[in-house]
Amino acid sequence: MRDLFDLIYFCAMVAIGYFVGTQVEKKHYQEIIAREADTMKLPAVTGQDYLEDNAQITEARMVYGSVVISTDYFRLIVAGLRNLLGGEVSAYETLLDRGRREAVLRMKENAIGADIILNMRIESCQISQMGTVEVFAYGTAVYYKK
Amino acid sequence: MKFIPKEIRENVNVSKVPAGREFLRLIAEILGAILIVYLALGFALDYIAPRISTDMEAAIGRIFSAKFADNKYPKTEEQVQGILNELLKRSSLPKFDYAAHITPSKEINALAFPAGNIIVYSALLKEVKSRNELAMVLAHELGHFAHRDHLRGLGRGFVLLVLSSVTLGTDSTVSKFIGNILSGAEMKFSQAQEKAADTYALGLLYKTYNNAAGAADFYQKMAAKEKIPRIFYFFATHPYIKDRIELINGIIKEKGYAVGFLTPIDFPELAKDK
Repeated sequence: MRDLFDLIYFCAMVAIGYFVGTQVEKKHYQEIIAREADTMKLPAVTGQDYLEDNAQITEARMVYGSVVISTDYFRLIVAGLRNLLGGEVSAYETLLDRGRREAVLRMKENAIGADIILNMRIESCQISQMGTVEVFAYGTAVYYKK
Repeated sequence: MKFIPKEIRENVNVSKVPAGREFLRLIAEILGAILIVYLALGFALDYIAPRISTDMEAAIGRIFSAKFADNKYPKTEEQVQGILNELLKRSSLPKFDYAAHITPSKEINALAFPAGNIIVYSALLKEVKSRNELAMVLAHELGHFAHRDHLRGLGRGFVLLVLSSVTLGTDSTVSKFIGNILSGAEMKFSQAQEKAADTYALGLLYKTYNNAAGAADFYQKMAAKEKIPRIFYFFATHPYIKDRIELINGIIKEKGYAVGFLTPIDFPELAKDK
């Protein structure tokens, strides 16, 4: 009997994870797309030789954006099953994609008014075993003389 | 170099397969794999079980020896073994050292293990009031041996046990581990096998004692305790208990077996345990 309750509990958690998680993800993507449109004009590059010729730099400072983001229980289970059989764990792809884009957006939002962000790097690390990850984007924001 | 801002339209970093469909696909793959293994083991079991030689079975019997080691009721075992030996004199069974082992348990059951080992739970003996009744229970287990039901009864895991014994030997820890799991799981005989064992048991009982008294006594006691209606027995491993009583009484009438006296029996060693 107890096994039956455990099974029902598990199915309920998976169902909640699926429905709520899918909504949360959708909403986050909508937000990301809107903010990307706003910050599109600020270039963030991974190199350093992108300064304009004849530019006079008034300020250069480090900017960073960090986000801690978690996946839902449903995707956790799907990833677990994929771990059995091997192959692409597509359940986590949206998690990391959102994390990266969110971190870059936060970095750019920290650099309003900058002309370019150089030497951008993106790093991620696992926070917990339940599919929580921190994504950290950092770079050097350069401000030209206006 | 001029910077031209561009909107991300096609996200190449995310798989096009939605998570829900991925989930269903994984479940189907895993269940499919399990089903194939299950069916393969089923066929293998049907093939192997009737072909196990008595030597092989004796070797496999040693894997379960830890289950029989504990000798908590030596005098009771002697009593039970005595009745078993009487039955064995009049039977023509595969050659093993048939031995009765009494194990303390609250469950009312007796089990037939490979190589002639019969485990009788103490709770069953506490229900038994006559030698005739006990003889019938033991003869029923001998019936399973006669029909080699007990090997199939261990289930699909038995295939793995045989593979392990043949490749790694019966002394290996792997074989013992598999044996442990199998002995813990329930022994499954089909309803047909149970009825066949009952028929054999009655025949052997009468051959040994010329007395069919007490043959259905044990089942009658169990029937009094039975709460589940007949309809649920369609899927059960045991036949509906009243059907078994009818079968036994039917054969007694048909063959005109004499029904004489019951010889009482008691187990002082078990009475000490509460």
